[in-house]
Amino acid sequence: MTVLSTAEFRSQLVAWLDDNDLTPPPGDATLSGHIRQFARVQRALYDAGWSRYGWPEHAGGLGGPAMLRAIVGEEVVGRRLAEPGPYSMLEVLAPTMIDYEQPELAAEMVPKLLSGQESWCQGFSEPGSGSDLASLTTRAVQNGDQWIVNGQKVWTSFAQYATRCILLTRTGDAQTPNHEAITAFFVDLDSPGITVRPLRTMHDVDEFCEVYFDDVAVPADRMLGKPGDGWRLAMDLLPYERSTCFWQRIAYLYSRFDALVGEVKGLGQAVDSELGEAYLALHTLRCRSRATQHRLADGHKLGPDTSIDKVLLAGAEQQLYDTVRDLLPGVVELDDTEWRTEYLYSRASTIYGGTAEVQRNIIARRLLDLGKE
Amino acid sequence: MDSESLEMLEAALRKTMLSHSGAELDAALAEIGWHDMLSDAPEVAVPLVFRLLGETGSHASVINDVVQQAADRELGATPELPYAGGGWVVWDYQTAADSTLGGLPLRRVDDGGLLRLADARRALGWWLVGSARAMLTLARQHALDRVQFGRPIAGFQAVRHRLAETLVAIEGAEATLSLPGEDNVDLTALLAKAAAGKAALTAAKNCQQVLGGIGFTAEHDLHRHVKRALVLDGLLGSSKELTRKAGAGLRARGSVPRLAHL
Repeated sequence: MTVLSTAEFRSQLVAWLDDNDLTPPPGDATLSGHIRQFARVQRALYDAGWSRYGWPEHAGGLGGPAMLRAIVGEEVVGRRLAEPGPYSMLEVLAPTMIDYEQPELAAEMVPKLLSGQESWCQGFSEPGSGSDLASLTTRAVQNGDQWIVNGQKVWTSFAQYATRCILLTRTGDAQTPNHEAITAFFVDLDSPGITVRPLRTMHDVDEFCEVYFDDVAVPADRMLGKPGDGWRLAMDLLPYERSTCFWQRIAYLYSRFDALVGEVKGLGQAVDSELGEAYLALHTLRCRSRATQHRLADGHKLGPDTSIDKVLLAGAEQQLYDTVRDLLPGVVELDDTEWRTEYLYSRASTIYGGTAEVQRNIIARRLLDLGKE
Repeated sequence: MDSESLEMLEAALRKTMLSHSGAELDAALAEIGWHDMLSDAPEVAVPLVFRLLGETGSHASVINDVVQQAADRELGATPELPYAGGGWVVWDYQTAADSTLGGLPLRRVDDGGLLRLADARRALGWWLVGSARAMLTLARQHALDRVQFGRPIAGFQAVRHRLAETLVAIEGAEATLSLPGEDNVDLTALLAKAAAGKAALTAAKNCQQVLGGIGFTAEHDLHRHVKRALVLDGLLGSSKELTRKAGAGLRARGSVPRLAHL
C-alpha cells in the first residue's frame, strides 16, 4: 500500500465496512456469541487486509503506523461490530509477542491471532498478587529443555476460549529482587495439567477465569525473552494497552453515550447538566488519548504519564454509567437490558488494569516527584 | 518560531510579568510586541501569554485584544464581556471598581452585544490552567517541606492522592485546549474553557486543603491564585454553565459529536 494519511485510510475503511456487512447476528448477546462474532470480524478484516495494517511485516502484518490499528478499532467497536473486551486482548498481547518471542515463532503465531483463528489470554494476576503484581508466586522450574509450572492465576479474561496464554512466573530464588525474578512464557492451554474455571461475577458475564497449573511442562523455547525479563515485559505492555486499546474503548463509550442521548433527548432541560458533565469527561479523555497516541507516533516512550489516561478513562466510564442510571430511572434495577450489564461492569473500571489508587500512587511518585510514601 | 527563540520569549515574558501587573503590564507587553504576536502568530502567542499570566499570578487586559481581534475590530478597546449568571462586565484599569475579588479591574455594566467568544474562551482556558499549575506548585512544595508526625506530609497517601488528582485535571484540561478542533471551533473552545475552569477549581480545592492553615493566610500566595481562578471561571461563562450548554446541544442534536480525531 502506498502511504495514506490517517484520514484517507479511515475513509477507505469506512467505505469497505459499508459494503461488507459484518453486523452481529441478532439474538446472540452471550459471551460465546461475542467471541464468535469477534473471530468472524477478524477473519474478514484480515482477508481484506484491514487488521494487518499497523503490524510489522515480519509478523504477518502490512506495516504502517500503529495509529492505523486504533482507527480500525475505533470503526469496528464504534459500530458495535465487535465488543471491546476480546478485541483489547489482541491489541495488548500481539505487540508483546512481537517484541519478546523469537522471530520465527512470532511470525508463525501472530497471524493466527490477527486472523481470528486463535485467541490468547494474559496470565498475570494471582489470588495473592493483585495490585502487588511483583509478589506473584506461580513457579517455573527448569528441567532439561522444559520448564515445569505450578501455581494459580485469576482474573484471566477469556481463558475458557483461549488457545494460548502469556504467563508470568517466578523463576528467581528468595535472594533475587522481585523485579528480576519474574519470567514470561507463551503456554499452550491444551497442555496437560491446566484447568480453567470461569468465575461468576456480579454482572453475570463469565469473562474472568481462574487458571490452575499442576506440573505443566512448557518447552524452553517458549520463554519470552530471557529469564528475569518478565517484569519488563509486563511494564512494556502498558503503553499498548493505554494507546490503541484505550482508543477503541473510548469509541465504544461514545457509541453508548449516543444511545443514551437518543433515549433521553425528549426529557427537556432537566438532563442538560448531567449530559454535559458526562460529555466533558469523555471529551477530555478522548483529547488526552489522542495526544498520547501522537506522542507515541512521534517516537516518545510512554511511561508513567499514561496513568493519567487510565484515571481519566476509569472516571469517565463510571460517570457515563452513573448518568445512565440517573437519567433512566429504574432501567438498571427493573429492566433486563444491556444498560444493567454495562452499569455493573463499569464498577470494575477503577479496579482492573491497575487500581485507581495504584495509578494515583504512580502519578504522585513518578510525575509529581513526591518521594516515597 | 524555533524552540530556542520560543524559550527566550517565554523567559522574557515571565520576567516582565513577575515585575509588572495591571496597566503597567499592558504597557510592557505592548513594548515586547504583543499586538504583532497576536495578529501574526496567535496559536503561539495566546497559549504562552495567558498560561504565563496564570503561572505568575500577574494580570493584564489582553483578553480585550483577543475579543477585538476575533471581531476584526481595533485593538485597545474595552468590549463588554459576558459574565456568569447572565451579567456583563468590562475589563478596564481606568474605571475599575474595587469590588472585584482578587484585584482584577472588572466592572459590571448593564448590557453587551453578541460576540464571537471561541478564541477568548481558549485564551482564558490557558490562563486558568496556568493558575492551576501555580497552585499545584505551591502545594507540592509545601507537602515536601512541611513536617508533621515526624515526616513530610508528602509521605501521606491522602495528601499524595489530592495532588495526583489535581495533576490529572490539569493535564486533561490542557489536552482539550490543545485540540485543533477545526470541525467545530465554538464547541471545542466551549468545552476547553469548561475543562480548564473545572481543573482550576479542583486545584483550588485540593491545594487549599494540602496547604492547611498557611494557605488560608494572606502571607502565603495561594489565595491570589484561588481568587483569580474563581473570577476567571465566571468570565465568558462558568464551567457549570458551559457544561450545561454543551449538554443542551447534545439533546438538541440527538447525538454526540466526536471532536478529536487521530
